[in-house]
Amino acid sequence: MSREPIVVYENFSYSYPTTPNALVDIDLKIYRGEVFGVIGPNGAGKSTFCKSLNGLVPHFYGGTVKGRVLVDGMDTLEHTTSELSMKVGLVFQEPETQLSGLALTVEDEVGFGLSMLGFPSEVIRKRTREALEKVGLKGFEKRSPSELSGGEQQRLAIATVLAMEPEIMVLDEPVALLDPIGKSEVLSVVKELAVEGSTIVIAEHEIEELAYFADRILVLNEGKMVSLDDSKKVLSEVEKLKKIGIDPPSVTELAYLLERDLGIKLEYPITLPEALKIFGELMEGG
Amino acid sequence: MSSLATSILRRSVAEVDTPMHRIDPRVKFLFFIWISVWAYIFLDYVLTAIFLTTVLILTFIGKVFSKTVKAVAIVVVPWMAVGIPILSALFPWNKTLIYNLQLFGYNIPLYYEGAAWGVVWPLRIGVCLASAMFFLFTTEPVKLIALLFEFKMPFRFIYAVTGALQFTPILLDDLQTIIQAQRSRGMRTDVSLLKRLANYPVLIVPLTLSALNKVQIRAIALESRGFSAPVKKTWPYDLSLKRIDYIFLAGIIITTIIFIYIYIVYGFSPISHLKFYLAAG
Amino acid sequence: MGEKIIEVKDVWFKYSEEVTALRGVSLEVTQGEKIALIGQNGSGKTTLAKHLNGLLKPTKGDVIVKGMNTKETPTHVITNIVGYVFQNPAHQIFTKSVYEEVAYGPRNQGLSKEEVDERVRMALELVDLSGYEDTHPYDLNYGQMKLLTIASIIAMQPEVYVLDEPTSGQDHMGRRKLVKLIDMLNREGKTVIVITHDMRFVAETSERTILMARGKIIGDGPTEEILTNTELLKQTAIKPPQVVQLCEGLRERGIELHALTIQEAREILRERLAAS
Repeated sequence: MSREPIVVYENFSYSYPTTPNALVDIDLKIYRGEVFGVIGPNGAGKSTFCKSLNGLVPHFYGGTVKGRVLVDGMDTLEHTTSELSMKVGLVFQEPETQLSGLALTVEDEVGFGLSMLGFPSEVIRKRTREALEKVGLKGFEKRSPSELSGGEQQRLAIATVLAMEPEIMVLDEPVALLDPIGKSEVLSVVKELAVEGSTIVIAEHEIEELAYFADRILVLNEGKMVSLDDSKKVLSEVEKLKKIGIDPPSVTELAYLLERDLGIKLEYPITLPEALKIFGELMEGG
Repeated sequence: MSSLATSILRRSVAEVDTPMHRIDPRVKFLFFIWISVWAYIFLDYVLTAIFLTTVLILTFIGKVFSKTVKAVAIVVVPWMAVGIPILSALFPWNKTLIYNLQLFGYNIPLYYEGAAWGVVWPLRIGVCLASAMFFLFTTEPVKLIALLFEFKMPFRFIYAVTGALQFTPILLDDLQTIIQAQRSRGMRTDVSLLKRLANYPVLIVPLTLSALNKVQIRAIALESRGFSAPVKKTWPYDLSLKRIDYIFLAGIIITTIIFIYIYIVYGFSPISHLKFYLAAG
Repeated sequence: MGEKIIEVKDVWFKYSEEVTALRGVSLEVTQGEKIALIGQNGSGKTTLAKHLNGLLKPTKGDVIVKGMNTKETPTHVITNIVGYVFQNPAHQIFTKSVYEEVAYGPRNQGLSKEEVDERVRMALELVDLSGYEDTHPYDLNYGQMKLLTIASIIAMQPEVYVLDEPTSGQDHMGRRKLVKLIDMLNREGKTVIVITHDMRFVAETSERTILMARGKIIGDGPTEEILTNTELLKQTAIKPPQVVQLCEGLRERGIELHALTIQEAREILRERLAAS
């Protein structure tokens, strides 16, 4: 993770035409190469935040805006979503619905966005091949998207975004509607991309999974920023999280409860390997 | 009924490959227009029936026979069932008596011309419909879109046409689930028609909202992929005529010459010899 | 607790010639149980669940609900005994007010106006939505909408509840509410069957877990046994809750620990550590 900001929110507030204060005074930077997690209860503004990165908020919905969002120097207020689609790729929760709906083959679906932007055929073909390989769907080129499983469809959606080669990949609760196999397939792909250095913004309820690969986590509640810091620090604030209705990873909560029960000082684990080390030593230490 | 609709509307990109699939969509589209025009020109139920049979044979080769026949039957059969009796009694140019029907003490004469018209009119529609289905069902969506690009149609139009075709099976699935969910709350499907009418809002409201929601999700997903970009869109699929296309086109040209000859020499209705009826034409 | 309320006898179900969703499934449900039905998508769990309230009838085999065979009894009789809450509230909501929505079920049961009023009041109270009677269902947030759909089934007062993915789309607070609700229903003697992918939720709500794969039941027993059976879970690529994984890991280090939930782990560890 570099220290070079790729996204800057300057006191950004947004109200939908029918829902006021969806986002209130968001002021933060996202750095190139980082994995930026976004958590919060339902209605906290996670989805709105994701959509504000590519201009859907405010252009598609209308509403009122204060402040601004700069994506790689581009002000989202002054550019259309199509222009921003080259910089920001957005993957939604709904596996089949977010596809183009033209009953294309898998490879046509991947190339669709590039067709919309007028790219030449050879470029489309090359990028399609690379994107499908990255998400593990090589060999699926001629299949129909509606025959794929939920996990495969979501990976296809990721491939369609990868083909556009955006600067930032934004995923809005990508695994919420998937079964365990689908979840694990999709999260593996996201982790791979993270390891390769992509800049990723991911809104998630699966905090136990997020803890493994998010560098920093933003906690939203009622449109406001509650915390923004390294994952470990944010997830260790167990009381704060539980008060707004979020459960930290089980192992973290366990450490917090033991600390209070036994009056000792414990480092809080946020992943299983950390927990095994910390609890193991605790039990062995006596 | 809904499974019939589903089987007609559900289009998976078939891994089927028949000679019919390989024909260029432009040629198939031309064929559809061409044969519909000729079916319209000739007022001859035998000839029109031959046209329909030919198209159905083509759909058989293309392995889309049952879908096409179902769709055509739904339109043509009821139309004939109603049209033939009514027209054979009431057609204004009726001349040749074929039968005197005794009904409720009345004598109703039935005539050949009206009956023939009752047969040929829906058959023409059948030819038009069957050739359109032939074109649509044996053309993969990616080629269909390429065709519309060739015609320089605006992309939003292309999307409206092809996107709608894919949406319906999703909605039909949704409807199934909605029916089950409401039955779980006591909605009855085994009662009188009148009582079942009360079920309509219970089913239509969730279906409509579900559809609207999906449409919105799709719209924002498309926006995020540059759908509205004001650039010239490319479509990485090249249409090119191959040998089979030339053979098919040659067939069309030869048949056209034969038809023109028949029309000039034998007149309007070469086999059944019906006269031309101005108002009804 | 006590009587057999549902019996599934060697049920096979085909959606079509090519798709066989259930291949010889048998099980018994006793009144008052809390059961979790888990498995990957396509394992047959939803198909099985839909047989329990008569929505689907077996191609082969029988489903007996309170002594009645679902193949021989009108569906609306069975749906009065087994209530099924579908996953997506949008597939159900069709009225303009919360009251009307919850009243639909009891009205279909032929109750009088006073009885319907009482059922609605009671159901809304149980799900903590009292006071929202005149609210438009779509003005509720997603979590409340899900509670609304559960309330509309509670108002029918079935003896068995089948909840299809009740935690999907819910945040953690919503999940906690559901755990409490299931507990309340169970304390009133109701049987609750939950279809879910959320293993933590399973550990917190269900004493018995049924694991399905490829149309068959491959595991059926107390939740502690099923969720700690690594071999079985590996077959279906399901991960147990984090607490269970923690215990497994600690056991590998020679530390004996068996717990399903955070609460259990906390109590065991606290005792052990306080002692030393």
